[in-house]
Order: sequence, then structure tokens, then C-alpha cells
Amino acid sequence: MKKTILTFAFIIALYGTFSSCQKEATVDKEKPVIDLSAADAFPGNCDTLYFGEPFVLKMAFSDNVELGSYSIDIHHNFDHHSHSTEITSCTMDPIKEAFNSFTHIQNYSIPTGQQHYQTQLSIPLPTSNDDGSFDEGDYHFYISLTDHEGWSTQKGLSIKILYR
Amino acid sequence: MYKIILLLLGLGFFNLSFSQHKYSLSGRIVDSNQNPLPGASIFLMPSGQGTVADAKGYFSIPMLENGSYRVEVKYLGYQNWVDTLLVDANLNRLVELKPQSVELQEVVVWDHRAEKRKQEESLSIEIVTQDFIKQNLGGSLMQSLERLPGVSTIDIGSGQSKPVIRGLSFNRVVVVEHGLKHEGQQWGADHGLEVDQYAVENVEIIKGPSSLTYGSDALGGVIDLKSAKIPGPNTLGGSVDIIGKSNNQHWGSSVALYGRKKYFFVQLRATALSYADYRVPVDSVDIYSYRAGLHNNNLRNTAGNEQSIHLNLGWAKDYFQSKIFVSHLRSEAGFFANAHGLEPRHVNTEIHDASNRDILDPYHQVQHTKIVSTTQWRSEKLKYELILGFQRNLRHEWSEYVNHGYMPDQFPDSLQYDPNLELQFDKKIYAAKFKVDFGTWKKWNTSLGFNGDFQHNEIGGRAFIIPAFDQWNAGIFGISQRPLTANSILQWGLRYDVGQLNSKAYYDWFPSPEVSGADTHFVYLMRADHLLKNFSSFSTSLGYSYFTDQWLLKINAGKSFRMPNAKELAANGVNYHHFSYEVGNANLKPESSYQLDLGMEYDGGSWIVGASPFVNFFANYIYLNPTSQYDRLYGNGNQEFNYTQSNVFRVGGEVYGHVHLMKNLLLGMVGEYVFSRQLSGDKQGFSLPFSPPAAGIVNMKYTAKKFYFFESMYFNLDVRFSAQQNQIVPPEEVTDGYVIFNFSWGSDIKIKNQKIELNFQIQNLTNTVYFNHTSYYRLINVPEAGRNFVVSLRFPFQT
Repeated sequence: MKKTILTFAFIIALYGTFSSCQKEATVDKEKPVIDLSAADAFPGNCDTLYFGEPFVLKMAFSDNVELGSYSIDIHHNFDHHSHSTEITSCTMDPIKEAFNSFTHIQNYSIPTGQQHYQTQLSIPLPTSNDDGSFDEGDYHFYISLTDHEGWSTQKGLSIKILYR
Repeated sequence: MYKIILLLLGLGFFNLSFSQHKYSLSGRIVDSNQNPLPGASIFLMPSGQGTVADAKGYFSIPMLENGSYRVEVKYLGYQNWVDTLLVDANLNRLVELKPQSVELQEVVVWDHRAEKRKQEESLSIEIVTQDFIKQNLGGSLMQSLERLPGVSTIDIGSGQSKPVIRGLSFNRVVVVEHGLKHEGQQWGADHGLEVDQYAVENVEIIKGPSSLTYGSDALGGVIDLKSAKIPGPNTLGGSVDIIGKSNNQHWGSSVALYGRKKYFFVQLRATALSYADYRVPVDSVDIYSYRAGLHNNNLRNTAGNEQSIHLNLGWAKDYFQSKIFVSHLRSEAGFFANAHGLEPRHVNTEIHDASNRDILDPYHQVQHTKIVSTTQWRSEKLKYELILGFQRNLRHEWSEYVNHGYMPDQFPDSLQYDPNLELQFDKKIYAAKFKVDFGTWKKWNTSLGFNGDFQHNEIGGRAFIIPAFDQWNAGIFGISQRPLTANSILQWGLRYDVGQLNSKAYYDWFPSPEVSGADTHFVYLMRADHLLKNFSSFSTSLGYSYFTDQWLLKINAGKSFRMPNAKELAANGVNYHHFSYEVGNANLKPESSYQLDLGMEYDGGSWIVGASPFVNFFANYIYLNPTSQYDRLYGNGNQEFNYTQSNVFRVGGEVYGHVHLMKNLLLGMVGEYVFSRQLSGDKQGFSLPFSPPAAGIVNMKYTAKKFYFFESMYFNLDVRFSAQQNQIVPPEEVTDGYVIFNFSWGSDIKIKNQKIELNFQIQNLTNTVYFNHTSYYRLINVPEAGRNFVVSLRFPFQT
């Protein structure tokens, strides 16, 4: 009987610990936001970029606590693999094989302590590499954004990169 | 007055001498043909006295104090005989043992085995048989066991899943088969458990730290799979199972044969199953805000198949028993085509939707081969057990070549493998375990043991996530238990382990542009350097259990550990399932878990209630921490996830109960909850990844021994509910709660002389759309399977 009582005492102690932990810790559970709705946001879904002409990335980022960093990935979509995250669908060129496609992968920092950030980033588009000029056609433009806590959000756009 | 005192004293003295009178217990141990069983052991609790029957089966235990004793008679190959005897005179008993047709291993009478095991184990334990698996048949063994309190799964489609015990999974749960740790590629979230659920006779699930017996990794618990029972002497028989499921058009069959002469026996089983894409009750899913339409509610490319064969050979005679298990399992399953990373290439819906049975890219193939030999023998006092095993796990992940990151547009011919082979893992592991049971000495029943293993891992394929590595582990342990009274047991143990991991360097097969200042050089990146790590750790456990006819009370305190695995130490690559760049940390320390477990159960005759709460402190819990950074060069611009460690507090437990509303009508409930909180590190204040939500089941079961031509019939309705899970860590999403209904019916029927065991289920009766927080596809918003009709038939036969 004594043991029974002892055991129950343990359970009560356990319950006490348990309920004291129930107090909600305030941690960030919200993802950052990429906003493409502004009139001058660029590029947008189905936009065209041109080899040899740098363009300016204009997007509005926001987070409830603090923004982290962002990354841009441009690669070919000749095989129509990529879905944009946007509702509008674009007219695609016929499927073709890639031989010397253009790839741009880069990560960019955001000044610390920001809840809102407007990009004003010039990205160069070279015309060729050692293997010759780049293939033109459908490309996939992929933006990824984190906040300070490691939450992330993504936007994928279908674009064309052509020669003017 | 003086005389009265003297008289009282005298009485007292008389009483004293009376109580000190010693009695003897003697008798004879025979089989059902009254033949003596020499060497049968007789053991008394709580005194710890015992003896062995002589050549004619006679035994005698002298000098017993007046009192009540629990008597256990054991003889290899026969069922144990247990009784409580009141010794208030010299007793003489004839004990007739029944032959055993079951696994002999540790203990006791089959009918009461589960009960007894529950009493002896001071951790919370669940024991289920093949009947339970049949009645709750899911797509994989773990899905069939998911109904148990504290047990959940990480599902990868409809046919694969990983075990989760109280929210811990991956390398924190050990699966044991034939006494040895099952070794696959547990570290991967999309890697299921390679076990044929039809070949499992019964399952023991220990919830709590069990490193003491099982070594590294057994922090969260152990799933111990016991295979087919040893057939009785001179028998020949088998069974045929046929299974069908409507949701994923699953069909399967498992055929078993067994035979035994006097000592030698053979068991054979072959299982094959095949399933199509599974159906969800929605017509599209939103993958990272892109909406993918589903053809006929089919989750594109989740079809699969599995085949396995098992051969068991054995020799069982009085003092010696040896078994060899050989098995081979092969499985193949597609990944949801729209879900291989964020940008699924080549989802040609026309090709994919042409058939829901074909397996196209991306898909995985697993082959698991296992050879285990177990030998047990005993002398008068000692019992030995030697287990030797070999396992090979070969895993391939296929997907069409695409130039992720800086890979070239065209795959070069110069490489020695198929461009569509994304990842390959080949593990070979040799393991040995030796245990000596010293019997009882001064009431302590002690066993000492050693186990060790060596594994060799090779990798292949165009992608890189973990390096090739060799690893060995060795541990020694001692476990001792003693009865304190006739109905309480104290047990404790100590263990020491050492291990070494030796991983190889790895370089990319393609050059990447490394920028230094204004210059850009194309280099073959070194993703992993050679690494040599040594680990060691202690484990211990102290437990007490107390049991009466009504009560079962347990308390256990234990420390378990886990050595960091190769992925945690040396990963350096992109996981294209989630587009995360995962980076290992060579400086990780072993995880230590300190846990206090309680267990209580009250049996009120027509009703039972129980609870098994725990508190747990984890030092150096290892997890993959999402950072705010991206990496261009190594991570192809993906978000960087670093392996890191933190201290974690966990508390939770299970409650259960049932009541017989009427003789044949049972109302039952189970509930489970785990709360976890990181106490330090980058994610301080957060929960742990893959935390199951609070969940429960209320069920109503009607049973009838005989109803017209139905025998052992049952109806069961499960109402399964789950609370919202809002304790999340990046990149998880809050998962809403749900209520679903599962109905089942089963019975034995006899047609002429053939018995048929019939089980029928309707899972997700109302075709509810709900999400499982721990499902592999949860992150891309894939709901759980819709309504599913399951039929299983078993035809047992025996000559």
C-alpha cells in the first residue's frame, strides 16, 4: 500500500512538471513573405530577359520578426520540368535538349534586424561561357527567402531568356 | 500474575518455534505420458530457492519456511508450469508439463506469457500477436502496429513506414529480429523498415530507454520481432494468406509451410504483394503553393511491390536448441512524381497517368538479406545464448538525370554508372551476441553478455548525401533481477559500449565554380574529408515492479545513449526531396537520454485502467537545424541545414482502459501524448521535428464465441482522433486535428474440415480528408489515404 501511495506521489509530481511546461514559449512560427504584387515588381511570371542585358530584381520581402537571406536560381526549363508557383501559365517553346544552358545560382544577404526589405539588385546576364554562347529559350527563375529562425518560402517563375 | 506472564512468554516462545518450523516441497516432474523429465528446474519466489529434477524426475526442496510461494517449473520444449502454493506442511506434488509448440526463449507459459513479461519488465511494454496484425492490417508492419498507444509511424506512401515510439524515430528506435538489431538505412526520412509483416509471429514493443540490452540507438524504445513458433514434434502443416485492399488495389499472398520430426524442424515462407497508386479524397494538392492536379484522386507514381522469402531451420532437443534464419526481402516503390524536390522534372502526366500500377521515375528499390543463427544451450545451472548474424541492405534511388546545380547539361559517358542512379547505399553488417544466464544465486538472477558488430558501407550514384564508411561497435552488459517478495521484482543493469566510425573522403564528379576575389576556378569539390571518430558510453537502468491480481505498478530510471551516425557527422549535399542543403558536424557528441518511467494498471475484473507516464531529459540531442543561410557552391543555392545538438526536455505518456459493458461487449480507449521542448541551442524554445500530436482511440468491440457457423467472431469500431499539432519546427506546418472511423469484422469459419480465418476492415470509413503530421508527404500537403476496404483470408492446414 505504501508503495502505491509512493507511486501516486510520483505521478502527481510528474503531472506538476508536465503542466508547468505547458506554458507556451514564444517562438516564431511564421514564414517570411515574398511579395510580387507591386506594379514595378520584376521579373514577373512569363516575363522575358535578354542575354547581355543586366536586369534589376525588384521584390518586397517581409517577416514578422527578422528576415534572414535570399537566394536566386536561374536554370533552363527546356524540358518543361518546372511549375511556376503562379496561377497564370505562360506559352512555352517546344521541348528541346540542353547543351549549353545558362545557370545562375547566388545567395544574397539582407541587413540584420529587418522586418521589411525591398530588393534593388542588378543581376548580369552574360552571353557566353568557354563553351560558346548560351542556349536561349524557357528558363526557370526561382527565388527562396528565409527568416532569421530558418523558416523559408519559395517562388518559382517561368521566364524566357532570349537574344535581342 | 507471574504464572500468566510465564504462560504468555511460553506461548510466545512456542509460537516463535512454531513459525520457525521448516517444511519441504518435493515431487516429481513428468510429461503427459508420465515419463520423467530429468533436469527440469524448479524455482521458488520470493525465497529464490530452486533445484533440478533428478534422472527419474524427482525433486525435493527442504528447509522451507511457512508461507506462500510462487512455484515455477521449467523444462526446455515444454510449457512452464506456474502455481502459488501455501507451504504449511511437507508437500508432495506431481507436476505434469505440457509440450510446448512455441518459442522457448526467455520465459513462461504461453497463455500468460504477455502478462508475465509485463510484470517482469519495469518499462512500459506492449505485446501483440499475428492476430492483432491481421485485425489491424496496414500497408506495412508499422502501420499495423500504429494503433498501439505510444506507437506511431512516419509513412512514405502506402507501403513503407518508419517506426516512431513516443515521438522518437530514425536511429533512436531499435528494431530487433531474431535477437539482433535490424540494420537498414534508418537515417533517411524516406527509408521504410524492411520487414515482411506476415513473417512476424509476435511483437514486443518496449517504450523507454533500452540501451542496456540493445546498445546504442535504443533511446526511444525497441520493437522486438519474434518469428514463427517452433512446431511441435512430428507435425507438418502450413498456411495460405490472401490479402486484398481497395484503396491502392493492393493484392498479396503469403504461403507458409512447416514440418518437424522429433528434433529437426523446417519453416518456409514466401510473401508477394503488389499495389497501385493510392487514392486520396482530394483532386489536387498544393505543393509549395503550386497546385498539382490528381488524376482520379491517384497520388501519381506511388505504386509498389514487395517480395520476400524466409527459410528457418532448427534443431531442438532438451538442453540444446539451434536455429538458422535466412531471409531475403525485395521492395520497390515510386515516389509521388510531383514531389521530388520543389521542381519536379519530367512529370509527364500523360505517361504517369496512363497506368496507376506502373512504377516510373523517381522510385526506390531495396534489397535486404539476413542470415541469423541462434543457439541456446544449458547446463544444470547456466544458460547460454549465442547469436551470429549477417545482413546486407542495398538501396537504390532512381530518377532521371537532370543537371542540378553545376552538373553538366549532358551526363558524361566516362562515369561507370547509370546516369539515372541518383543514390545508392550498400551496407554489409556482421554481428555477434553472446549471453550467459547464471541462474539464481542468493536470489539474484544474473546474466552477462557481450555484443559487437562491424559494418561496411559503400555509396554510389550521381548525388552525394553521406560518405562511404566502416563502423564497429562493442558492448558488455550485466543484468540482474531478484524477487523482493512473491509479487515484486527489482532489476538493474549496467553496460559499457565503445565504437568507431571511419568514413572516406568524397569528391564531386563535376567541377563547380569557386570564386576567390575576381578569379573563378572550376574545382572538383571535396564534400567529405576522411573522418575517424571514437565513441564510448555507459548505460544503466534500475527498475522495480509490483504486481498483485489487481495491481501492476512499475518504476524505472534509466540512461541510454546513441552514437552519432555517418549522416550526422559527415553529410554534405542537397536533399532533393526537400531542397535542403544538409551539412554534418564532425564534432557531435553521443546523445544521452535520462528517463524516469512509471507504469500502473488496475484490473477490476470487468474493467482495466492503466497509465504509463514518463519524463525524459536528453543531453546532446542531434537534429538538423534549418539556418537562415543559403549556400551557392556546395548547396546549389539551397537553404543550409546544419546538424547540431541541444538539450531537450520531454514528458508524456499513454493512458488506456476498457470496460465490459456486457459479457461480450467491450468499450475501450487509449490516449497518447508527448511534449518536447529544446532547452538550449539555436532552436531553444522549439519542439522537436516529427513530433506526433496528442491522439487517442475510443473503440467498441463485440465478440461472440459462436454465432451460427461463425466462430470467434468480432465486430470492432475504432474512433480515432488526433489533436492539432502546433508544436512545430521549421520547415514543418501546423497540422489540424481530425476524427476518423475504422470498422473491422472477423471470424473463423469452417468449411468441411478446412478452417478459414477471415478479417475484414473499412479504414477511414467516412473518406475524410485529413493530414498526418508525421507523414513524409505532409510538407507538400498530401492528405492521408481515403476509404479503404481490406480483406484478409487465412487457410491454416496441418496433417
